[in-house]
Amino acid sequence: MSISSERNGGDILIIDLTREKVVKREVSSETVKRYLGGRGFNSKALFDMIPGRIDPLSPENVLALGNGTFAGTALPMTSRLHISTLSPLSGILGDGNAGGEFSAMLKFAGYEQIIVTGRAQKPKYVFIEDDEVEIRDAEELWGLTTGETVEWLRDEHGDEVSVAGIGPAGENLVRFATTMVDKYHSGARGSGAVWGSKNLKAIAVIGTKGVEPADPERFYEMAKEDIEYFNRNEFVKRIYSVIGTHYGLIQWYPSWKYFQVPLSAEELPIGLRPQDLAEYEVGRTQCFSCPLACKDVYYLPSTGEYGTASEFESIYALGSNNCVTDTEAILRMEHMADEYGMDVMTLGDTIALARLLHEKGILSGEDVKGVSLEWGDAEGQIQLIEMTAYRKGFGNKLAEGYRNFAKLYGEEALAYCYDVKGVNRGWYEVDFINGIFTLSHATSTRGADHLRGRSWAYWENDKLMDIEAVKGMLKAGLPDYRKDPVGALIYGERACTLADSLGRCKGSINSWLQAVPLVWKYPVFKGTAMLLTAFTGIEFTEKDVIDATDRIYLTEIAFNVKQGIKKKHYDVKFPPEFAATERAKAQVRRHWELVDEYLERRGCDVETAYPGRETLEELGIGYVADEIEGKQFPEWDGPVREVA
Amino acid sequence: MFVLAVIYENCTGCHLCELACSFKHHGVFDLSLSRITILTKPEIQTSVQVYCLQCQDAACERVCPVDAISRDKNGAYIINYDRCIGCRECAYACPFGAISFEVEARPIKCDLCEGEPECVAVCPHGAIVYMEEKKAVRELKKAKATGVAYGLYGGKETSEHPRKKAEEAVEYLLELVKKSGELDV
Repeated sequence: MSISSERNGGDILIIDLTREKVVKREVSSETVKRYLGGRGFNSKALFDMIPGRIDPLSPENVLALGNGTFAGTALPMTSRLHISTLSPLSGILGDGNAGGEFSAMLKFAGYEQIIVTGRAQKPKYVFIEDDEVEIRDAEELWGLTTGETVEWLRDEHGDEVSVAGIGPAGENLVRFATTMVDKYHSGARGSGAVWGSKNLKAIAVIGTKGVEPADPERFYEMAKEDIEYFNRNEFVKRIYSVIGTHYGLIQWYPSWKYFQVPLSAEELPIGLRPQDLAEYEVGRTQCFSCPLACKDVYYLPSTGEYGTASEFESIYALGSNNCVTDTEAILRMEHMADEYGMDVMTLGDTIALARLLHEKGILSGEDVKGVSLEWGDAEGQIQLIEMTAYRKGFGNKLAEGYRNFAKLYGEEALAYCYDVKGVNRGWYEVDFINGIFTLSHATSTRGADHLRGRSWAYWENDKLMDIEAVKGMLKAGLPDYRKDPVGALIYGERACTLADSLGRCKGSINSWLQAVPLVWKYPVFKGTAMLLTAFTGIEFTEKDVIDATDRIYLTEIAFNVKQGIKKKHYDVKFPPEFAATERAKAQVRRHWELVDEYLERRGCDVETAYPGRETLEELGIGYVADEIEGKQFPEWDGPVREVA
Repeated sequence: MFVLAVIYENCTGCHLCELACSFKHHGVFDLSLSRITILTKPEIQTSVQVYCLQCQDAACERVCPVDAISRDKNGAYIINYDRCIGCRECAYACPFGAISFEVEARPIKCDLCEGEPECVAVCPHGAIVYMEEKKAVRELKKAKATGVAYGLYGGKETSEHPRKKAEEAVEYLLELVKKSGELDV
């Protein structure tokens, strides 16, 4: 039996854990045209279902998992699962994007999205086999690592099962616990703690149906062209499929010692070079329908374990930013983070911040008794990671995550916290890449982030992959960041919103060529419009695609308005020593000019940063304006905590 | 004679061949309708490829009670559905599990796409090849040699091979970076 792609394929599955009830709802063609799928569906669900400021760990929070329009098809790299919730780390929209096979399996089972609400009395897991959906006891599973959980579910339901779920960190409500897919694929911003708060350990799915496009021949022809493009791309073949995101170690300036030095290729210490990491490699792997194989499979001689995907981010966050250069130790920490289910970036950055605060004497005494916070102490860090996952001792504080952790030590500590809206991404000067870095971190709807438009705005990696494609995009109307940084960023944000909604991977190369299908042939969004038309049978123009991404983005901004986000939260943070300089002050002024221009061009009020009614009505979502217009929401200051 | 060969060392388990195969034969993306099956443990590179080897002396052909299976000019065993009674004997007899049966027991197997296998066209890593026999044998030998260098058959010890490949990748990357700096877009 196959699923017609009319209405995007499948149904929405709503799971109420409090009442242990499951409801299936059809998706209308109109919803597909307006919100595409994946992140679009999720952001709309969160806006509609979460009324205002609530504790993200309360049963009222909503956990949404969306698989993206093209999941399960031969259009390459379309197997990303988008996981959205009110983040317990930041207290605003928190979404993450994970690979693996879950998203395709969910599509094959006949679903577009899973929405989880409420809280179960006892640990549960959900088992889905095509039309059958069961809420089952998970008491035996509680406490298991992500790897053990997957193995347990494979024993119970067969090897073909695909699993999304949490490890001990999610159970222990670590605020940056992740949703883990098939053991090693992680979706960040704290959704793992939301699973934990709902007493939900995992969702296991087996899907056996097929997916049939509305215009099969046309769709397949275009999908195959895209596959062949990547199969013959020299950058992919000679670099990407060989070292994956490790190439960023040469190219992306990993930070040293809590963002004090960005390391150039020449400065990269032995131990952190791609060839050092390759010594532990025993194979390569990838997600469903991906021709790139960006993930290494590594073997750890000291523990006898295998792990996968030691990405650039884990190496900088757990390694260089903490001055740790012991290759195997970093891989081991990365594997531990996967097994416990924690985001490596927030984990590494929080530990690095703790080291800095300790060095400055802000953090001392009982708190850090028996804990090593010396720069570069790998063994000490391994201990801290375990303590964090189980909230033991000082780990209980680290588990609060970055800004929440700094807040425990007052203003002095917060001065060294380089977050935007509660999320960490290091600090950069506004002059860097014409303001793109700082602006993109400020405007991201899930807090500072490198995957919300930043690299796309200045074609960071496309330049290396295919310079002709970049020229084609510029010719087709893509703004050039050197002349128009704000316009370039808005296009970058559209590309990312689109990829997350189609289920397309954007995270490994961070390029247009990867995130936006067929952009090399039909720039900028024309190829996507053609694919959507062929797949859904609904007529899409390039403007429809752009409107859908703007509709999603403005819905997200409005969601954050309801969580108390004001214009002042679009700020830029510098280390206190630099912030005091004239150079920094001039840069801050430049930043706010860019923010103003951004808000105006996004159709938001420049004073309040609220999305404007006119823009929302033009996009056909006047109801969003009804919920926020003229209303005051208590100012955001991190996640709300219910009085115990 | 051309043969379809799978070089398992190159397979990363992406399933694109299955999607392409089911589409080519049924116009739908459906793993259960694919003539080639990739069994994976998704997180690690251990995939097993199940596909028709077009045996010289084929069990499926021999057991078919109505002589519905015969070889075409490309060497592919083809099921004649006008004769097939849907008994599934061929599927049970195949020592490799390469024959599936669809709804109502209609058996399906690789037909080499009339000499242009779709799986070969989409495979990103050259894991499925369709070539003249002697060439295919050479490709297999090369892959085995690489596999030995990679330490694939020697237990858990890692080898020098990935390091060398990474060094080459870095070298090429630095070259590209230099070049991209010169280009004015």
